[in-house]
Amino acid sequence: MKIKSEQFKEVAREELKTRHTRAHLDVIGLFIKELRKASMATFPDPSAALDLGRAIRAESVERLPALLEEFERNATANGAVVHWARDANEANQRILNIAQERNVRLVTKGKSMVTEETGLNEVLVKNGLEVFETDLGEFIIQLLERPPFHIQGPALNIPVQEICDLFLEKGVMKEPTLEPVELGHAARIFLRDKFHHVEMGITGVNFAVAETGTIINVENEGNIRLTKSSPPIQVSVMTLEKVVPTMQDAMHMLRLLCRNCTGQKIASYASMDTGPNKGAEVDGPGELHIVILDNGRSTFYRDPEAREILRCVRCGACMLECPVYGKIGGYPYGWAYSGPMGQVLNPLMIGQERTQDLYRACTSCGVCKTVCPAGIDHPKMFLRYRAHDVEGDPRYNATRRPWTEAGFMEMFTWATKRRWRWDMGIKAVRPFINRHAEQGFIRGIRGPLEGWFKSRDFPAMPRKTFRDRMRDREE
Amino acid sequence: MSKTVKDEILDKLKAAPQKEPPPRPIMPPLNELALNKEEMVEKLVETLTLVGCSVHRVRDSEEALEKLTEIARAEGLTKILASEDDVVSPLDLPEWGKKSNVKVFTAKDCRDREEFKRVAFEEAQAGVTGVDFAVAESGTLCLIHDEKQPRLVSLAPIRHIAVVPVDRIRPVYESVTDELFAAGRKAPSHLTFISGPSMTGDIQATLFRGMHGPKTVTVILVGQASC
Repeated sequence: MKIKSEQFKEVAREELKTRHTRAHLDVIGLFIKELRKASMATFPDPSAALDLGRAIRAESVERLPALLEEFERNATANGAVVHWARDANEANQRILNIAQERNVRLVTKGKSMVTEETGLNEVLVKNGLEVFETDLGEFIIQLLERPPFHIQGPALNIPVQEICDLFLEKGVMKEPTLEPVELGHAARIFLRDKFHHVEMGITGVNFAVAETGTIINVENEGNIRLTKSSPPIQVSVMTLEKVVPTMQDAMHMLRLLCRNCTGQKIASYASMDTGPNKGAEVDGPGELHIVILDNGRSTFYRDPEAREILRCVRCGACMLECPVYGKIGGYPYGWAYSGPMGQVLNPLMIGQERTQDLYRACTSCGVCKTVCPAGIDHPKMFLRYRAHDVEGDPRYNATRRPWTEAGFMEMFTWATKRRWRWDMGIKAVRPFINRHAEQGFIRGIRGPLEGWFKSRDFPAMPRKTFRDRMRDREE
Repeated sequence: MSKTVKDEILDKLKAAPQKEPPPRPIMPPLNELALNKEEMVEKLVETLTLVGCSVHRVRDSEEALEKLTEIARAEGLTKILASEDDVVSPLDLPEWGKKSNVKVFTAKDCRDREEFKRVAFEEAQAGVTGVDFAVAESGTLCLIHDEKQPRLVSLAPIRHIAVVPVDRIRPVYESVTDELFAAGRKAPSHLTFISGPSMTGDIQATLFRGMHGPKTVTVILVGQASC
């Protein structure tokens, strides 16, 4: 997938005009929020449950190297083959090699954001493999060749008419229908044949348990279970940070993930692999490959604040709560990761110079932080990134702000340092500002402040300041 | 000797400044841990229903088979796939099938993996399995997969019928995982938590059951909690 984070503003502008996107975001957001609240309320003490989850994820990230070693040791002892990959290209090549060495032609995939990140499908298809995304939403956007709209509902925003036309064009079904259930059924029938004959299954990983060497996948559709049951070869791809210390930790995170993702106590399926099958089974994979991908994460791990984003469990709660995501949806973020978690992660992964508009698209309301079951402080990082820009920090590929902004800040600081400068300044500036007033309101001032007035206005300034008026009353 | 990719990644992580992991806060125990046996059965029935399963309580194996006959008749089942786990085996489903005019397949009857998959994907109208545990907390059936419990039986056919002995009910997930992943014990290579039918809301957030797995999950709860 081509990363298009630079085009944030343009795409956001387009998306704001899309009635479909807006209508869906409004309804789904509200609906899931209520379900989440209700499901969290099933804990005897919901905040204690959140705190425990946050502590588990914080510990997982702080002890990352030791936990990864423990996980690899145990997974290997269970009979899995663990592969390490520095970057997307290495991971893709490794998976391609596994497939080619075994003459695999047909692959099914469970939804995984990490293979979106690496662009795996493109590489496999280019090398002559048939690859099918099997999560319904992911299947639709694979046919449409679009990035995910939301990490849980990648195609939530696509109108049924468009899905119908797409399914007819791609031969998924023969008769047109606009019923979501019938469209889903058509996809079931089409993909069932792939599941039957699939030769290699590729999945992501929700949790990797260090203590036992187990990988866990969570889903509602059954496509991941089929991908892990039907073919003789299973490849599961995880980024470094998926590891948790113990099975008990994994069970608690499972509770939090499902509640915060879809408002379920638990998803329909959680499947746990502790090695490949043992040989006597009639199904399941005889070979289990686990690919551990770094892709830049070990580089920003050196920054104790930046590494906090690695706590993320991809529940998507921050997105559905975010007032900005709630208006523009997932496309403007331009990559697999959208919403607040994408706004924190993408600058670290692809550099600040390409993601400036992402971390500025924030109202600083802080709701992402309050709902996050992994304990990530997103707004803190947005401020950090802006500070990097001011400093022009080369480690983050930060871009210095224009000299006019720096100059203005210098002047402002100078003016506010002494009471008399400030008092004189605000009196002197009034007539200039009020020149733009019409009927008591200033609706716009051309120049550097133009943007500020786009969605706001400002009452004309009275002759006297507030302090002057208070003093007059006292006298 | 050149460094492996693994060492390169781990060395970078280890070179980073270390921070002390935060202390683990105490969480009050989940409500299910305080239930007695009968309350736990009731809770399981409630949570199973909540996640979309239909639940039938019967006294013993004989009644379980009667219930199965009833379901087969109501749904018009003529071909089912059954696992051979320690719950389903004693029911002798092939024998039951002869009496009830239902063809019962098991993995044992299949020549190879291909034939088994053909039956699972194309022939069977329902899959019948036992369970290793059922968790009251969330209406979750736990299946350990091995040669007696193939993965596709509870997954590929459009209906899943699960036979759950009441003495296999546990309050929370940890009651299951603490036992199965205890130190010194060989952990199951594949463990599945099933909570309701397969579903999706991916098109316009419209709920659709039976996306890739079963559309219905029927639970036959066997036995009395008190004895």
